[in-house]
Amino acid sequence: MNNVIRSIFLLAAIGLIGFGLFIGDDLSDARWLALLGGAFLCLLIATRFEIPASTPTFNRGLIRTTMLLASIFIVLSAQLIRIQVIRQRQMYYRTGTAPDGETISNPRLYRQQLTVQRGSILDRNGVVLAETTKEDDVYYRNWPVASTWPITGYYSPNAYGMTGIEATFEEYLSGEASTNAIEQTVNELLNRDLVGADVHLTIDADMQTLAYNAMGNNRGAIVLLEIETGETLVLASKPTVNPNTLYVIDDSAEAEAYWDTIANDEVSKSFVTRATMGLYTPGSTFKTVSAAIAINEGYATPESVYEDNGEITIDGRVLVEQNRPNETQTKWTLREAIMWSLNVVMAQVGLQIGADTYWDYGPKLGYGAEIPYDVPVYESQLANSRSFLDSLNAVADTGFGQGEIQMTPLHLAMVASMWAKGGEMMKPILVREVTADDGTVLHKASSSAFKQGVKSGTADEVAGMMVDVIESGSAQHGQAAGYTIGGKTGTAELGDGTTNSLFIGFIGESKPKYAIAVVLESDPDISAVATGRDILVAAMQR
Amino acid sequence: MNRYRPALRLTEFNLLLITAAMTFVGSLTIFLVDKGTVEWTWRDISVGLAAAAAMLLVNITFSLRGFRGDQVLFPITATLAMLGMIMIQRLSPDLIAIGSVEFSLSSRHLLYLAVGLIGMWLVVMLSGPLKVAEWLPQYKYLWLIGTLGLQALAMVIGTEVGGARLWIQVGPIQVQPSEISKITLVIFLAAYLDEKRELLQETWQVGRLKLPPIPYLIPMGIMWGASLLLLVALNDLGPALLFFGIFVIMLYMATGNRLYVAIFGISFIIACWLAWTYFSRIEIRVNNWLDPFWDPYGYGYQPVQSDYALAAGGLFGTGLGQGHPAFISQVQTDYIFSAFGEELGLLGALALIALYFSWVLRSFIIAMRAQEGFVQLVVGGLAASLGLQTIIIIGGVTRVIPLTGITLPFISYGGSSLVTNLAVVGLILYFSSRPRRV
Repeated sequence: MNNVIRSIFLLAAIGLIGFGLFIGDDLSDARWLALLGGAFLCLLIATRFEIPASTPTFNRGLIRTTMLLASIFIVLSAQLIRIQVIRQRQMYYRTGTAPDGETISNPRLYRQQLTVQRGSILDRNGVVLAETTKEDDVYYRNWPVASTWPITGYYSPNAYGMTGIEATFEEYLSGEASTNAIEQTVNELLNRDLVGADVHLTIDADMQTLAYNAMGNNRGAIVLLEIETGETLVLASKPTVNPNTLYVIDDSAEAEAYWDTIANDEVSKSFVTRATMGLYTPGSTFKTVSAAIAINEGYATPESVYEDNGEITIDGRVLVEQNRPNETQTKWTLREAIMWSLNVVMAQVGLQIGADTYWDYGPKLGYGAEIPYDVPVYESQLANSRSFLDSLNAVADTGFGQGEIQMTPLHLAMVASMWAKGGEMMKPILVREVTADDGTVLHKASSSAFKQGVKSGTADEVAGMMVDVIESGSAQHGQAAGYTIGGKTGTAELGDGTTNSLFIGFIGESKPKYAIAVVLESDPDISAVATGRDILVAAMQR
Repeated sequence: MNRYRPALRLTEFNLLLITAAMTFVGSLTIFLVDKGTVEWTWRDISVGLAAAAAMLLVNITFSLRGFRGDQVLFPITATLAMLGMIMIQRLSPDLIAIGSVEFSLSSRHLLYLAVGLIGMWLVVMLSGPLKVAEWLPQYKYLWLIGTLGLQALAMVIGTEVGGARLWIQVGPIQVQPSEISKITLVIFLAAYLDEKRELLQETWQVGRLKLPPIPYLIPMGIMWGASLLLLVALNDLGPALLFFGIFVIMLYMATGNRLYVAIFGISFIIACWLAWTYFSRIEIRVNNWLDPFWDPYGYGYQPVQSDYALAAGGLFGTGLGQGHPAFISQVQTDYIFSAFGEELGLLGALALIALYFSWVLRSFIIAMRAQEGFVQLVVGGLAASLGLQTIIIIGGVTRVIPLTGITLPFISYGGSSLVTNLAVVGLILYFSSRPRRV
């Protein structure tokens, strides 16, 4: 009987530790320690075997003490197994933030940069965007294409951490995830330098540089997506951080000075990669979204007629129309409202849709939803909270793209692409594949739909109206001979009195091929429409 | 009887050959890794050779002097001490390079090791002629006064090192009093408990209640409480925890009464609760225990770095000299186990734990074989105290329990710890040569 009980407790101890190690390996430390404590008590009971009555008291005490120590040593071993094997990776790569905001990561990651032939980052045609070379036993990393710095990010584990692809694909680039388990163990035993895997992007470096240069001295972003696949051809962003300066092997005064400059520049905020982390008011480009919702819900068709005599009073506030091409015309169709970007009409459309329907459509169109991507993307929003839309004026403002709407340039491009692809929002792709140094493919992207926002008929109507905007509407300077281009412009006033200029659009011959979003900050000295057109045409001509 | 008739200690010799080989390979490795070549000179391996030779010399002189004590304990001790020696040699240049220490630890540690080995040898050889087994229990109250006096002295003239640990400066030498009072406490308890053993095994009848014989426990309780209070006042919680454990285990060994364990278990929980409520530094330790990332550059810095080091080790470790344990501050004392975890991996760390367990087990066997009650209790108590010390520090470093600073026996850098622990081994070895039970 006694033996049976002890066996049960032994099994219970094994069960608790086994569960904590292998099944509940994501347990918090406190819970794991509670399991371990339970296992310890079970072990104490399990090792309480009967000692013959003839045994002297002292020996009995020693035997019991031995069992106690043995149980504790088993518990210590279980903890070591957890730290060093089961949760080894999480522990090794764990980062933390001090109360003063400073972050901490394993200092060995920096040492690793000296012993790992870090993988390269390449564009879709094999152009090298980042590579590591060895000189005098020291690995140097080099980022030759300035326009792609916002994508690659920087890699400076010793001093400044890492960002962009360098951070999100760290495990592949550092070789940790590239070799198979056996090979990794052998390499570890022999202390060989690891060889990292190469990351192949969907980016076209030439197009990227073209877009980057086209932006001139303006801050902002240009995103170009292939409509069919969701692949990112251009993800240009200005300003950017020079990773070559931040790659530090020994202490570098140059890097430190550079870091201080960019860290303290509140205007440029160079660390914010505009294309994926910049949140902008979409302005009139959002009118395509309002129109789409209204059509999709059957509230309107492109030919529905609205009254616009130059102003409208909503809840006591007078909204003045500034965009009418013809001051004598007072009846406008939805199509004309999009073509000429009429705020008074779109305010009415917004009120037709109403707060509830807007809020329902948000997630379907990617607002307040996490966009899966290969570098971090901030979440777009329709409003800070649902309660903002309780006011009629807020709904009307939302109708023509003001209010509290915030969107990333990437999301804007995805929306443009959605209208051109029958309402299907593709999952955006930035990394095409990851290959080990022996050519094995470790990771491969596949195209898939992220959202089906609206019915395909609705999207076709919106795309048609966008073509009208270019061909006979407000943005006729966006035309290009030989191609069908659709688009919508937008402007958004900032708090400091300057204006952001936006453009979303798509291009194709028989069928739309590329979608674009252009965002230029603070009274840019170039036209967003013309810049967008040039990039779209260049993409078609490649 | 010829007192010096030689007796071959072949088992010990053979076991030491393994240790010697490990020492040689280990010290060669750290020199080669440092230089990054496979060429070596005699200078590089002189330390390893000297250490291996010293151990074999101990064995040979034991044989020549006809010492008939246990043959397994010293090889286990030597393996642990050599592992510590190798790790300190390996850490020293790194610690100097990052400015963590101002002087080379390696030569000092070698000196401590030599002093410790000679001390151990002298204890083994002189304990018999000096009739240690007779006067140790006789002067038990001297050990009691010594235990308390050392702690009190540390409080008055001690200097603070690293925030908590207290040392006494004697000329050029720094002594860590808790390392010595650990031994005097065990000796006092062994003598007292042996003398009162029968009385303590009885129960004390109060009406219908059966209680432990409280009158006999009072003097022990008072001294124990006083020494604990002193340690807590000194903010030296590791030894405090150790003293507590020694007290309970020895009481249990002497009486076999589970009631003591239960009473002290409960009082321990209450003490923990009180400490947690009233001492802010306890709260810091508990936070560090559950998640050191709450303050990764402040209080949590050491445990965070230790976690990183252990994770870096993985299953096989980075290899001796290939890791970066010097990122952990004070790695040479409290956190030396993490250095082994990083460079020798899980397998090395488990092997180290197994070595400590065998050391305790072997000492327990010696205790069981002893004829005299005092010897039983002293050897059992000393073995248990080193076992507990190991658990307290390894448990703290691996975050099974909150960390309380104490040295890892035979391995941590530090003269007091190494010399006294080797003297403990000397004492146990001597007692193992006394008449045994058949």
